Amino acid sequence: MRVGVFKFSSCDGCQLAFFELEEELLRLSEKVQIQYFLEASSKNTWDYFDLVFVEGSVSTPEEEERIKKIRESSRFLVAIGACAVSGGIQSARNFEDFSEIYFSVYSGRYEVNPLSKPLSDFVKVDLEIRGCPINKEALREVLIALLQGKSPQLPSYPVCLECKRKGNPCVVVAKGLICLGPITVAGCGALCPTFERGCYGCYGPVEKPNLQALLEGYSRLRVSQDLLKELLRISFNGYNKSIREWL
Amino acid sequence: MKVQIEALTRVEGEGSLEVFLRDGKPESLRLSIYEPPRFIEGILKGKPYQVIPDITARICGICPVAYQMSGVQAIEDAFCVKIPEDIEEIRRLMYFGEWVQSHALHVFFLHLPDFFNVPSIIELSKIDKGLVLAGMEIKRAGSLIIQTLGGRTSHPVSVVPGGFSALPESLSELKETLEKALEKALWTVEKLKALNFPDFELKEVLFVSLIEEDYPILKGDIYLEGVRVSPKEFKSVFVEFEVPYSTAKHAMTKDGRVYLVGPIARFNNAFEKLSPLAIETAHKLSLEPMVKNPHKGILVRIVEIVHALERSIRIVKDYKKPQKSKVEVVPKSSTGYGVSEAPRGILWHSYSFDSEGRILSADIVPPTSQNQRAIELSLWELIKDRENLKEDWLRDHAEPVIRSFDPCISCATHFLKVSLKDAKKFTLA
Repeated sequence: MRVGVFKFSSCDGCQLAFFELEEELLRLSEKVQIQYFLEASSKNTWDYFDLVFVEGSVSTPEEEERIKKIRESSRFLVAIGACAVSGGIQSARNFEDFSEIYFSVYSGRYEVNPLSKPLSDFVKVDLEIRGCPINKEALREVLIALLQGKSPQLPSYPVCLECKRKGNPCVVVAKGLICLGPITVAGCGALCPTFERGCYGCYGPVEKPNLQALLEGYSRLRVSQDLLKELLRISFNGYNKSIREWL
Repeated sequence: MKVQIEALTRVEGEGSLEVFLRDGKPESLRLSIYEPPRFIEGILKGKPYQVIPDITARICGICPVAYQMSGVQAIEDAFCVKIPEDIEEIRRLMYFGEWVQSHALHVFFLHLPDFFNVPSIIELSKIDKGLVLAGMEIKRAGSLIIQTLGGRTSHPVSVVPGGFSALPESLSELKETLEKALEKALWTVEKLKALNFPDFELKEVLFVSLIEEDYPILKGDIYLEGVRVSPKEFKSVFVEFEVPYSTAKHAMTKDGRVYLVGPIARFNNAFEKLSPLAIETAHKLSLEPMVKNPHKGILVRIVEIVHALERSIRIVKDYKKPQKSKVEVVPKSSTGYGVSEAPRGILWHSYSFDSEGRILSADIVPPTSQNQRAIELSLWELIKDRENLKEDWLRDHAEPVIRSFDPCISCATHFLKVSLKDAKKFTLA
């Protein structure tokens, strides 16, 4: 099996999950050929891939071309992390005045798109691994399942389920904190509530998030619609297809 | 004519090296960073101060703790918050965890393959599996510290202005892992002793690091050639400027001198403050200030790993859960500065806030942007007298020079100034 790992606009954090596999990475390399992974190897070839993992969002004309080229040369494409799945924290700019942000930074030489978008806005994505960053357990599950020709089993239920299973007191009820757990997909181990704070949504929305119900629930805590929208815009997944219209 | 390495490998982020030739001889070169900017500081404007540690962490997946620590200290400076010593000690522990995991990543996964003429750690493991596994064990120990205190290694969730959102009852389960990792680190020193280094020196470069009572990591004034500069005065001593070929800005001292930040600068400026085992390790490796060969960064990193592990074991042994995990933070209209020693060198943050604590302006200077000039200068020394430069030769010789600086290109593209004209209403309930 020929594998490639690619990076677009991102922080590098999701690719690190491969390094965190440690010895498993070494064993894996006996079963698959890692043909393209700039951060891991100085020897890279790009022809045809059975499986590619793509980190990062598409935010320049060059990246638009490159993701299409990768798609054409790959059988199975996995988007890894909030940038690739939803556009990432940099997509918070999609809801604001881009030129003001841009010209306060650079003097106009670099070609950057006004919007930072997920891969699925440009190409067919076969599978998503969620998280900002993804965790190595999910990566391991996907790698092993695909090697064995099975479908990977990743959570589709919300963080709340994971949080209850851990026996955490609910931070909304006990502390009156805003928590995006009810509409955020599980997989992190309910990290933020475990550390006594509200979930900030870094694994992105569940398949059909009921935002209206969440808003009604929070209106009792005097949380306005504007505030909920702002929180979702900086949830690292604000430009996810399932919530961007609502924001 | 131009010879180039289109995509640098085994570095964090994406960049290229171009060398321009005239009559077959090198005329100029540029380290070009084409990583797209993500406008993190632009996104921060109008947002409440509480989002700074979560959002700035995303500038870098490898050193998020550094961003969180410089960020919260800038907030605390602005709002005049005094952090108790016991909480600061836990911040140091978390930061040591990041040094260990980031340095181990660089030493074993990215840099070491160069010394064995192999393209990756996977190939290296076929030559010396023991060394690779030791590196992985060291890296895991660093990661475990961050996971224990913050839930996960990359983008941990517990760092908040004023301290931590929650703290563990006990850290005793860390002790054994850290002691074993320290043993492994000392064992790798024997192996690293045998490495051969190209004969190469950085000339006329200033070494810049923080100065504090201990070997610098968490805070302090900035030290350069006998002069101390407060975090507030940073911009009066150093200047940043845009260059046309890179999305990362460059930096120099105001009087036009090239400077270096990071492990070599810290080692040269604060050698005597290293832990006893780290000093012993340096002696074993025949390292003493002034280290001027950037290739020896790998040795300095292993010395810092020993230091970080030895200090961490002490903190873990002495740990008693503080009565309060954080102190109260009350926002006011003000400007604050925070600087700390990221694994790659000083990372400076500055923010201005309105009276409710909303961000009016943000300014972040990461280490890699500060080091770009020193990297280019080193590359120029390497190639200036070469004729018939070929891409293969550049890959074999120039890329390792760049790699030895451990550049973090993802970081470097995200520093910029943002000023806010009309702050949007935004409050956290």
